[in-house]
Amino acid sequence: METKKTSGIGSPISRLEGKLKVMGKAKYSSEFAFENLAFAQGIQSTIASGTITAIDTSEAQKQEGVLKIITYENAMKLKGYDNRFEPPSTHGISPSLQTPEVHFYGEYIGVVVAETFEQARYAANLIKVTYAEDDHKTNFEEQLDSVYKPDKVNGSPTDTSRGDLEKGMNEAAARIDVTYNTPIEHHHPMELHNVIAVWEGDTVTAYASTQMVENAVITIAETFQIPKEHVRVITPYVGGGFGSKLQLREHATLGIMAAKMVGRPVQFTVTRHEMFTAIGFRQHNRQRMRLGADQAGNLTAVGHETTSHTSFTEEFQETTGAMTRMLYQSPNSLVTHRLMKLNLPSPRWMRAPGEAPGSFALESAMDELAHELKMDPAALRIKNDTQTDPSNNKPFSSRQLVECIRIGAQKFDWKNKWNPKPGHTVKDNWMVGYGMSASSRAAPYMKSSAEVLLKKDGSKITATLQTDATDIGTGTYTVLGQTVAETLNLDIENIRIELGDSKFPKTPGSGGSWGAASFCNGAKAACINAINTLKTRANVTEDLSIAQLMRKANLTEHQAKGTAAPTEEFDNYSVYSFGANFCEVWVDKDTGMVRLQHFVNVGSAGKILNPKTAYGQIIGGITWGVGQALTEYTEVEPNHGNFITRSFADYHVPVNLDLGKIDVIFLPEADYIANPMGIKGIGELGITSIAAAIANAVFNATGKRVRDLPITPQKIINTPVTA
Amino acid sequence: MRPFLFHSPSNAAEAIQKHTKDQNTHYLGGGTNLIDLMKEDVARPDHLIEVADLPFKQITKTANGGLMLGATLSNTETANHTQVRKNYPLLTMAMLSAATEQIRNMATNGGNLLQRTRCPYYFETAMPCNKREPGSGCGALNGANSKSAIFGWSASCVATHPSDMCVALAALNAKVHVEQAAGSSRVISFTDFHRLPGDQPEKDTTLKIGELITGIELPKSEFPDHYYYYKVRERSSYAFALVSAAVGLQLNGNTINKAGLALGKVAHKPWKLEKVEDFLAGKEATLENFEAAADLAFENAQPLSKNEYKIELGKKTLVQALVRAAARS
Repeated sequence: METKKTSGIGSPISRLEGKLKVMGKAKYSSEFAFENLAFAQGIQSTIASGTITAIDTSEAQKQEGVLKIITYENAMKLKGYDNRFEPPSTHGISPSLQTPEVHFYGEYIGVVVAETFEQARYAANLIKVTYAEDDHKTNFEEQLDSVYKPDKVNGSPTDTSRGDLEKGMNEAAARIDVTYNTPIEHHHPMELHNVIAVWEGDTVTAYASTQMVENAVITIAETFQIPKEHVRVITPYVGGGFGSKLQLREHATLGIMAAKMVGRPVQFTVTRHEMFTAIGFRQHNRQRMRLGADQAGNLTAVGHETTSHTSFTEEFQETTGAMTRMLYQSPNSLVTHRLMKLNLPSPRWMRAPGEAPGSFALESAMDELAHELKMDPAALRIKNDTQTDPSNNKPFSSRQLVECIRIGAQKFDWKNKWNPKPGHTVKDNWMVGYGMSASSRAAPYMKSSAEVLLKKDGSKITATLQTDATDIGTGTYTVLGQTVAETLNLDIENIRIELGDSKFPKTPGSGGSWGAASFCNGAKAACINAINTLKTRANVTEDLSIAQLMRKANLTEHQAKGTAAPTEEFDNYSVYSFGANFCEVWVDKDTGMVRLQHFVNVGSAGKILNPKTAYGQIIGGITWGVGQALTEYTEVEPNHGNFITRSFADYHVPVNLDLGKIDVIFLPEADYIANPMGIKGIGELGITSIAAAIANAVFNATGKRVRDLPITPQKIINTPVTA
Repeated sequence: MRPFLFHSPSNAAEAIQKHTKDQNTHYLGGGTNLIDLMKEDVARPDHLIEVADLPFKQITKTANGGLMLGATLSNTETANHTQVRKNYPLLTMAMLSAATEQIRNMATNGGNLLQRTRCPYYFETAMPCNKREPGSGCGALNGANSKSAIFGWSASCVATHPSDMCVALAALNAKVHVEQAAGSSRVISFTDFHRLPGDQPEKDTTLKIGELITGIELPKSEFPDHYYYYKVRERSSYAFALVSAAVGLQLNGNTINKAGLALGKVAHKPWKLEKVEDFLAGKEATLENFEAAADLAFENAQPLSKNEYKIELGKKTLVQALVRAAARS
């Protein structure tokens, strides 16, 4: 049997849907056309804490095209929270407009539904809301004495310890005890969050931008208290999620409610400005790091204590200490998480929740420790490598961190470039610095299903794979196409992938870096089932082509489902992806402007399904890491408690000129403990520790240790030289 | 946005006549600022008078050897015009540091002068802002003011002017030509065109109702060789400045004959440094003199609670702009 490998797993083929996207023919959820479509515009609170006492809608009501104005006074009754203060869930309810209470500035307190978007938006501006305002708590510094210990931190233990941190610190020959701050950041996927809700009788179809189709179904069904079977969610393309589209949010509830109340299809698209308050964000994390090491660089103590904030309605904290718990050996360790409640929106999962800010603290502190020890920071990481996860004593399924560091160092020419003395190289007005960091991210694997439909037309075989998985820009269509092509030994041109519809077999959706591994194993299982059932129908045991099998079985159509799920063995190991980063930055010696010149990223992340789409993911992660390091922050207004950073003019995502040359290397690896196809996730690995590498390079250039991100010219001006 | 009447006059006189009719009337150039403000419900004009197509799209030489930049010409065409590039490269440099290619293609020269502040309180309609809503207070004064003014502010407004182009125009000693009703016109020196907030921060300029900018006059080229526009910002492009400095120098050997200097994003208007220009005239182009010039430029700075960094950053920015201007040839 001839094997066709050119578009199979590991081939750097271009995205299957790329042409559709370029031509504008890939239909995102806001692009489905309906006759009679009405538009909803949210009304947002303009106080941070209090109660609505009156809503004057009279002017708005009079305007042309206005169909309905919905507030807590006339909203549909939805399922409310049993316990108003609990951790959010990706399939949790999303009630809205159920009470006159206001918990943060920018909370949705109403909706205007009109014939056109413009009419809805105009009318929304005419609504006058009166409040009984309470004192708001929005100042992180002022609420520090209100911190408490949450029961869990995003599903993980709140505190962990081994040995005695103080003892380890006392024994150390070199010590670091410093505090890092990472600011509030926002996801801002290019595609605005959206729903188009269409009711037919008592069933609803939601065209919704979501990373997780099945979870969106549950959220709608539970929120509206209707059977799951009455809900369909469709999302063939998603323009970026980064965690913000894990759970269907209040805009979707309001769109669905509005559609029911006006008896027409309704579109609710969150505006860019509302994206700052309506869909979650990354919280401000204050992280105290304590590291101790003996003279040879062996860690004797690792402490990572985080203080952060959640809202008054939900308890969310990202696991900033996750990487600190498992990356390096150390006999003494303490990792804690604490929270305060603020009148800000609820923070949520954001790309590498925990690792992105946590890795900045850990990998900056490692650099500071290396500086204290007068040691090469790459060597310090290698010195403290471990093949056993110190947090649970399980072996790693595979761990090539040292190889990542060595290969990255070689590619970057670290050995020749590295010079620990800040100011070692000056070019014109630029001070040149080099920095590095190590990274890791859990590589989860979840139960995932798919169905494959084979059709035979003469000698031509076509395969259609259906699964409720989503492609959030990551390449799901493409890697699934490659999986089907390889498993069924078919040309990829004859394969059709259909995603993002709740009537398809269930997957865990895209999130947590489990998408590719889970979806592809599920798809492969369906394809293998198709082959096996065809063999039975054809009554053959040898390996024949699909065409031959269908001919022998005398079938023109055949379909099979398949499901893949982790085995018990998975739990016996710690399964992580690993990486190393090296970079060169230039810092203007007068103005503190930073220019990234070169970035080398090496990843060890299982089998790389498609180097091209994987490269795109890592580039995206690095880009965001550059934003985290240099440009991105959201500021809380000190007197009114709103996010005063309110548009892309204020919230600076990096531009091409901020990026420089980027090299991405994937180590050859296939981790068959992780899953049958040997795949590990890379989506979140790509952003992890990027900011630390850049901050370390800024220190190496200037002798200034900026411990508060982002490293803006203002911060560099205000930071003293300490080396 | 709110409903408004849209007028498309065929000539300047008609535009001016329409503008005098109503207080709440705006001229519309490229729309890169005003339309955004209307969408945000910050600007609420009853009448928009489209002027982008009025015939002020030429760049012509003036009788005294200068250049007249048409008010409705785009920023892109102006910045890249041969005469501008050759004789006023400081202007080109400043203009091309602003916004993006797409925005510069739309933005007009007249509109650039009239762009509104980027102070976040101005944009958030539920916040106090005397510029947007006179009498409501200044949110930034004791609020988030890290990007606010350090010169010339008042208790009623600490906003800064966001333009890059205008900083260069101030350094270059430009003049603004405006037409008035009944065919009359006047010429306003650039330093008098924008105003300080005082107790009327809603007024950014000294333009009177009905007056229409028709052109920007540049004097005879003074700084074609030694110039620099240094814009310090939080990302490499497509960001407003934290501070900026426009420098033109006329050198005779290493002696400064004349300097044209202005700072951006430090005040309610482009901050012309006349005193520093006088200080540098006749002095040697040395680092020491440049640093003394920067000290002089910032001696009366009055920082707010969160923007003291602008003083040191501003001094270094000005010194570097002077160094680079002097080195350029």
